[in-house]
Amino acid sequence: MESTKPDGNNGGGLNGGTWHSRYPELGTAPVPIEPYVSPEFFELERERVFRRVWLCLGREERIAKPGDFFVKDLAIAKTSVLVTRSEDGKIHAFHNACSHRSNKVEWQTKGSCAAFTCPFHGWSYRLDGRLLAVPDEKSFFDLAKDQLGLTPIAVDTWEGFIFINLSPEQTLREYLGEWADGLQGYPFAQNGAVCYEWSTELRCNWKLLRDAFKEAYHVAFLHRRSARDSYTGRGNPFSHALYFKLFPLHQRWSLPANPQYAPSPLEAEAYRYASFVLKSDFTREPPAGVNPTESPSWVLDINAIFPNYTIDMLEGGYFTYNFWPLSVDRTLWEVRTYFPRPANAAERFSQEHARISFRDLIMEDASTMERTQSVIASGAKTHFMLQDQELLLRHDNKILAEYMGLPNDRTKNRKKRGGTHARAASA
Amino acid sequence: MPEPRLPDRFHDLEPLAAVWALSTEAERHARRLASGIEELRAFYDALFPRIGDILAYLSEFPLESLTPEAQRLLHLAFSLAEVGPAVELFGQPEVPDGYDSRRFIPADGQ
Repeated sequence: MESTKPDGNNGGGLNGGTWHSRYPELGTAPVPIEPYVSPEFFELERERVFRRVWLCLGREERIAKPGDFFVKDLAIAKTSVLVTRSEDGKIHAFHNACSHRSNKVEWQTKGSCAAFTCPFHGWSYRLDGRLLAVPDEKSFFDLAKDQLGLTPIAVDTWEGFIFINLSPEQTLREYLGEWADGLQGYPFAQNGAVCYEWSTELRCNWKLLRDAFKEAYHVAFLHRRSARDSYTGRGNPFSHALYFKLFPLHQRWSLPANPQYAPSPLEAEAYRYASFVLKSDFTREPPAGVNPTESPSWVLDINAIFPNYTIDMLEGGYFTYNFWPLSVDRTLWEVRTYFPRPANAAERFSQEHARISFRDLIMEDASTMERTQSVIASGAKTHFMLQDQELLLRHDNKILAEYMGLPNDRTKNRKKRGGTHARAASA
Repeated sequence: MPEPRLPDRFHDLEPLAAVWALSTEAERHARRLASGIEELRAFYDALFPRIGDILAYLSEFPLESLTPEAQRLLHLAFSLAEVGPAVELFGQPEVPDGYDSRRFIPADGQ
């Protein structure tokens, strides 16, 4: 079992950090800012990362019944993805592009149907993508209809989460690897029977959004109003984590709550029925990857799947984030909160209180991103100075560079932007 | 068909329900942002003392068995959840220096 206690205040110092000493391959040097602001780097991310990884599109309950579908526009892949459940219960994914003249076939974002009909010229497709009918077919030349179905995209599920991959190099289960072992069997469907979601487009690079949720150093400052001392307190003033675990691509870390935290008056009323922090009705012990240190003060695990998805687990529910790159300085953020089905209307109120409080807290997280973006491309600063508790930011930058086939330390190439990227493009 | 009213035991809260018994998050949040902090405090101070009784009443209802009157009471309570952080934590309608919450879009009908 890993260390069970947060390390108090002694995690400071570039070379004295407890967590960094466990992962010496990361080093402790400042981390270059250039990947966050370079348009050339963004295009390399598009080609070398987002076209090759398994990307999570949410849970299969979105398409619970045969005939159900949803559409996800994916700017980073320059496509629109149609996800369906066919009559036999199987899940399919396709480029949402008509075989006639590449119009979007399905213009709604979700629904249920027996077949898809393109609004442009009426071509229709089955739920499994096969071309069904072509109006005025006699006017075409040598139409090989059996080869003109919707272009499929690799799709698979893990514990009910739907993933797609535009050019898979390994199976989903291989991609998730050892990280997934720790959560296998968690009752995601039961504990996520109800889902509430929000989305927003931020004017910032996707990695700034990703970084915001990879450290708790900010909690005592940024969340001083919304969280007060829920995650701090005298024993842990800087919200040091209970645990970090770095997998080859993915991550897991755990946070403690402050045992002396006193809920607000309304919070105390809501807690009597449900919340994010009260026990779910597990029928058996949760898997080993939930509260991996078995700490009595545990409140939250953040599970990060490379490159842009997190599943954050609490006792009373979980929530997920997608960070979808739109351009070098635009990102779509999708937030989903999941709870068990409330047994009664009082529990429903308590879940409402939990998710609204959570929404307000993440408005504090989101407050830094566009502000940072407005100065980060100035060149005034060239590196981030990361402390021990910001281990995951360092890991993220390293694995991203490695996945892209780039040298991790780009400080040596920090000359003209053109020179740097000409080298990178030929790497 | 007449508008549903709150359950009889909460009939004194009907003036609050006329303003705050709103069925979607978008409506409740817009109402919070459109109110001054004094109005939010007045709503909180009037409703919070009753929330224990309200939740005890609501705990008798599975969601699929809510009467229209109980549904109205639940929507009123949802507004207390919406307004609570502004009164208890922020002292103003918006999250201070926060991201513009009007850009944070809930799912349709949420």
